[in-house]
Amino acid sequence: MTYQIELDRVEKHYGRFHALKEISLAIPKGQFVALVGPSGCGKSTLLRSIAGLERITSGTLRIAGEPVDDLPPRKRDLAMVFQSYALYPHMSVRDNLTYALRLKGVSRAERARRAEEVAAVIGLETLLDRRPRELSGGQRQRVAMGRAIIRQPRAFLFDEPLSNLDAALRVRMRKEVRALHDRIGATSVYVTHDQIEAMTMADHVVVLQAGRIEQQGTPVALYDRPANRFVAGFIGSPAMNFIPGVIAGDGRAVRLALPGNPMLETTIAGTPGLQVEVGIRPEHMVLGSPDAPDALPLVVNAVETTGAASYLFTEGEPELIVTTEGTATIRAGDTIGVSVDPARVHLFEPETGASLRSASL
Amino acid sequence: MTRILRSLRDGIGFDVLLVIIALSYLLVFAGLPLIYNVIISFQTVDVFSLGTLWHPNAGFDNYRAIFDDPLAGRVLWQTIVFTLGSVALQFTFGFALALFFHQNFTGATWIRGLFLAAWVMPGLVVGVLWNWLLSGDFGVINHLLESLGLIEDPVFWRSNVETSLYAVLIANIWYGTPFNMILLAVGLAAIPGDLYEAAELDGANAFQRFWTITLPMMRATIGAVLALGIIFTLQQFDLFAAITQGGPAGSSTVAQYWSWQLSFREFDFGRGAVISVLMIIVVLFVSLIYVRSTKAETQL
Ligand SMILES: Nc1ncnc2c1ncn2[C@@H]1O[C@H](COP(=O)(O)OP(=O)(O)O)[C@@H](O)[C@H]1O
Ligand SMILES: [Mg+2]
Repeated sequence: MTYQIELDRVEKHYGRFHALKEISLAIPKGQFVALVGPSGCGKSTLLRSIAGLERITSGTLRIAGEPVDDLPPRKRDLAMVFQSYALYPHMSVRDNLTYALRLKGVSRAERARRAEEVAAVIGLETLLDRRPRELSGGQRQRVAMGRAIIRQPRAFLFDEPLSNLDAALRVRMRKEVRALHDRIGATSVYVTHDQIEAMTMADHVVVLQAGRIEQQGTPVALYDRPANRFVAGFIGSPAMNFIPGVIAGDGRAVRLALPGNPMLETTIAGTPGLQVEVGIRPEHMVLGSPDAPDALPLVVNAVETTGAASYLFTEGEPELIVTTEGTATIRAGDTIGVSVDPARVHLFEPETGASLRSASL
Repeated sequence: MTRILRSLRDGIGFDVLLVIIALSYLLVFAGLPLIYNVIISFQTVDVFSLGTLWHPNAGFDNYRAIFDDPLAGRVLWQTIVFTLGSVALQFTFGFALALFFHQNFTGATWIRGLFLAAWVMPGLVVGVLWNWLLSGDFGVINHLLESLGLIEDPVFWRSNVETSLYAVLIANIWYGTPFNMILLAVGLAAIPGDLYEAAELDGANAFQRFWTITLPMMRATIGAVLALGIIFTLQQFDLFAAITQGGPAGSSTVAQYWSWQLSFREFDFGRGAVISVLMIIVVLFVSLIYVRSTKAETQL
């Protein structure tokens, strides 16, 4: 199978700084891929390497099966939407949209037709004669998108295109960008530091940290089966709780380093006596009576509520977060009982951070 | 009085005070001499009447004398050649250097700084330097041209009527290029780098990026640089004084130098003033273009 974009052991050095480490990634035609990771992990560097704005140090990069390592950006036939939008300030919206077509020598009539067509798709029909400085942030963002789709490129590259918009608009544009992708049958690589954006928009999520791919897969796979502690903590909101523990004698339960050393059942077989990090997502901690036999007794230190959900913060080290639906009646100082579905418990190797589940599967 | 004190204490009206000070300064040191210059262009002023503030009326006699002067046509032509030649080549070299240093190779900032050193030199020093470089017998320029095989006999740049204007022109191009380079470099640096990246992905090659991004984005800067270049070139005096003194036989006399000669060599201040009035009109016109181009910049 030929992939639309294919990276094979790509490395990038800036002088002595190792920015990308052994990046291998294969993107089929039509897929929406999100590159996600904390700030400075190399997302933009990876995207810019695909675009040809950065030269990779080693490895191969293929677009539609063709190696492009020696092709300048203008010959790669990719379109990019920049975080800053990078609209040409001295040109009208119409000229911004049709700039690439003009360079290609497309006739004036054809350019006008395609500008109208794209303007209709992105909802900018009435703004074609304006300059970028006369547009709002959201409108500029649309022009940047329009400038990309008018070219019908082999793939779209997005570098945090929504991060300059306000929260409400960002949520709306998330859906619009994805709908546009589906409608024109595009292949898209979308960079974001926001894991919610990545999870909601993408077919395939690639988690990067310090220039390395930590894990890649569908959003559900990353959520249900994080390969390591980093991915477990990065995906999901609020972040997963981590508690040190020791695997108990039967190898099917862990003794937690919490007051009273409670036992927690798991479905993972481990070596008795092994030190582990136990990971439990806040939304998988189910509230019950503190007196129930298997419940972990925890003391609430603070309560935050959004109306739809409430977050209970526990006392002591490590601080744990428990998510409950609706407005909680629980107050700071109350003792709660929490039970956890054994299948929802994750175990990680404390040193390497690797998940023990994959070892047991 | 209390109002003034209060304004100083509260700062209210302080802005108005500052504007008044600036305007008075302009009026006294720029406005009045300018007006006085226009007035004496219509008067007979010689060594004997120089001490008095008011002189006999001359009507348009001074203007007539200038236009009838056999030197007038040549001076006009030489001024045009000198000004346009200086501005065009200073701009071209300045832009080329600005683009070159925009590549940001190692040491670019240092070398750029060296260029500025040329610009901060006093005109008379530059003139002396070029006297030496252009000298007929042992000048570096002749030596270079000879070794390149471009000339066979040494050219006496400064004393030849064919070349004297170009001797000053070459020196002035060298003198003004760094200024052009710096202003244009600032303009280049103000263009966001991501525009070039966007254009590159949109399929533009280096030439197309220059033509469709750099030049239009630099329009205001270029307008300002050209206007300032014309104004500064029309003010250039030191190089003429140091290199050719307008000669030989007026072959390198330009308007500003002629005005000085009439006033301070022939002590005919009326006719000297006529030339400065005519030059002021030209400069006002160019300034208008300059102001309009900076306005275009704020609109971008
Ligand atoms: N041109 C460069 N020279 C040196 N280091 C760079 C350069 N560009 C990026 N870096 C470094 O590479 C790392 C990754 O940067 P980037 O890809 O921009 O991160 P992000 O994931 O936030 O987009 C950062 O540590 C950054 O400092
Ligand atoms: Mg980035």
